[in-house]
Amino acid sequence: MSSPALQPRTRVTRIAQEAVDKARLTVVPRVRTRAPRVPFMTLVSLVLLAGIVGLLLFNTSMQQASFTASSLEDQADTLAAREQTLRMELDELRNPQRVATEAQAMGMVIPSAPVFLDLETGKTVGARTPTTRENALDLDPPAPILPANLAPAPVVVEVPAVPTTEQRKNRNR
Amino acid sequence: MPSTRTTGRRGASRGAPLLRLRVGFLLIAVVLSFFGARLVQLQGVDPQSYALRAAAEGGVRVTLEAERGDILDRNGVPLADSIKGKMVIADPSLTADRATELAQLLSERLSIDYFKALTALRGRKEGSRYEYVARRVPSTLASDTLAELDAAGFTGISLQDDPIRDYPSGDVAANLLGYMGTDEPLGGFERTFDKQLAGVDGEATWQSNSGKGVRIPLRESTLKAAQNGQPLRTTIDRDLQWFTQKVLAQAVQQYKAESGAAVVLDTRTGEVLALADVPTFDANAPTEARSEDDLGSRAMSDTYEPGSVQKVLTAASLIDAGKAFPRQRFKVPPNLARQDRVIGDWFDHGTIRLTLAGIIAKSSNIGTVLAADAFSPVELVQYLRAFGLGQRTDVGVRGETPGILTAGEAMTSQTKDRVAFGQSLSVNVLQMAAAVNTIANGGVRVSPSVIAGSAVTDDGVTVGTDVATRTRVVSKQAARGTAKMMEKVVDPEDGVAPRAQVPGYLVAGKTGTAQRVNPETGLYDSTSLSFGGFAPADDARFTVYVVVHAPKVDGGGGSVAGPVFSRIMGYVLGRYGVEPTNGTPSRLPVEW
Repeated sequence: MSSPALQPRTRVTRIAQEAVDKARLTVVPRVRTRAPRVPFMTLVSLVLLAGIVGLLLFNTSMQQASFTASSLEDQADTLAAREQTLRMELDELRNPQRVATEAQAMGMVIPSAPVFLDLETGKTVGARTPTTRENALDLDPPAPILPANLAPAPVVVEVPAVPTTEQRKNRNR
Repeated sequence: MPSTRTTGRRGASRGAPLLRLRVGFLLIAVVLSFFGARLVQLQGVDPQSYALRAAAEGGVRVTLEAERGDILDRNGVPLADSIKGKMVIADPSLTADRATELAQLLSERLSIDYFKALTALRGRKEGSRYEYVARRVPSTLASDTLAELDAAGFTGISLQDDPIRDYPSGDVAANLLGYMGTDEPLGGFERTFDKQLAGVDGEATWQSNSGKGVRIPLRESTLKAAQNGQPLRTTIDRDLQWFTQKVLAQAVQQYKAESGAAVVLDTRTGEVLALADVPTFDANAPTEARSEDDLGSRAMSDTYEPGSVQKVLTAASLIDAGKAFPRQRFKVPPNLARQDRVIGDWFDHGTIRLTLAGIIAKSSNIGTVLAADAFSPVELVQYLRAFGLGQRTDVGVRGETPGILTAGEAMTSQTKDRVAFGQSLSVNVLQMAAAVNTIANGGVRVSPSVIAGSAVTDDGVTVGTDVATRTRVVSKQAARGTAKMMEKVVDPEDGVAPRAQVPGYLVAGKTGTAQRVNPETGLYDSTSLSFGGFAPADDARFTVYVVVHAPKVDGGGGSVAGPVFSRIMGYVLGRYGVEPTNGTPSRLPVEW
């Protein structure tokens, strides 16, 4: 204890000695305070209810998220597939066969030998040979020769000519 | 407490509550004992089967398909790639009733055969619940079609993953790439490197309530991710490969030949930039191939006698061994009687005086035999083996033939004479190209490779540029001397193949017109026309080798294979920006 607390104690002993003597410690009956149950029960119930409702909401939202996740996954799959299909189409457009066919249709021909142009001096390196239509490639592959069972010889059926009406008339005469 | 409150009535009706209590306890005990018994039954008797049934009830098990690795060209352009696809599956018990309507719709949307679709929808067998209607349908098309069917009220059609292998350039390099069967690779790189390309499928399991794949959160789920296949990078240049195939196909068609092959090699690295086979097939539709033989690579699997191109190997070996030199003089008689038969030349001549360069330029068999007399069979074969003949190149192409080269000890002198000018031994196309490339590369043989980096074949052999080897076969001087002689071959005045020239460039090459054995009859009844060479001759960058088998139109290596060589060489030089070297042309004399 600190010193300021000691002062009142000595003063009490001096001034109210009688009262202190009177105030003997005696055993008194214990007072049982019955805490009101209702608020506590309400609190517990509320906590329980909130917990259950919360859990339910949490579960529902998880389910919801699961639905969203799978629909997004589906969407991602579809988009990935679409991207792949587009990439495949692009690759097919880049097919040298197609590019060459288009280019040749525009009149372009692959030369038989390259010639280089030096941009600084403006001179060409290499033999300048004319590139003509004859340098064009035969781009169409030869038609496949089908096996005999897929390309049977044409069946020729000789039908006796039906006599025309004039012939018939002549015969009748 | 309620009990204190009821104390007043306890005495009056003591029997009833006790009875009630006892009855109640008994009932509870009975119920609990049922629970207990059920618990023992579930956990004690056969817990596994119940767990399985529970899992099967709402469990979803999905195989996560590993994506097959792409096959790329040297610039990363896909030669083969995989895209997501679906298989369309019908449950005939649901589809049989409206099969005709469904079949019509499906055949229109998916471009499949109506009658096949109809058979599948009705069920191929009685009571069938699972029939393939279409396989390898692009994913987007399949799901769009399914959505349309759903909207129209059809049931019983479902989709499953079924990846599609696509070859965007069709027949480009098809003979090397191979193709896919319904479920497995059936040839080419697809099969040889399947382990690398295939990857490992993964698996996912989860609990679902609706059967539509929606997961129940917080329930047991497992995920083993798929390991996608690794891409395979080749040394092939797609555009060059395409060009080579087209030019070769044109020649094969023009000369009504049976088949043809062409190889483009990077001289310094031995990388195969193009390896063309004609006839070929569309890798997207292997079943439409003209014949089963077209599916593999004839260039690698068929042997043939190389003919006169071989002479450059003989000449280079002779020069390297110090037994000949380019200006060496030979008197070449009209024909040469050797032990069992007479050797002749392709052109009629009296006794002519040719140098070794002239023998190469004019492609004289007799001259070559005379020059090769300085060699014993053992010596010649030793050199040819070093050039790579008689053994597989092992580049990773399936079904490669080692060719036939008789061992030197067992070789008679007559056989040696014929081997010297390229008959009585057989090779595959890449072997021969690599041998010619050795001359181009200053006498150092670089083993050819088709795979960039390295890859392991299904036989466990590591192949690729990483494991390419270099061995000196002939000296640099011998190789230069031979190249100078080969320049004379395309000389308009002295040579036999002026049409193999590439305007503006120095070209060295050699023609070959060999007698060819018909594999069916075993008789020499046709020819193999070839041309092998490199450019620029004084600083070679590319080696091109072309062979055309069994043409029905008359011609020689110079007139048939020469122009093909010229066209391919001209294109590859331009494509890789190789300028003419302005070197001095060979001034070797051909006659004396």
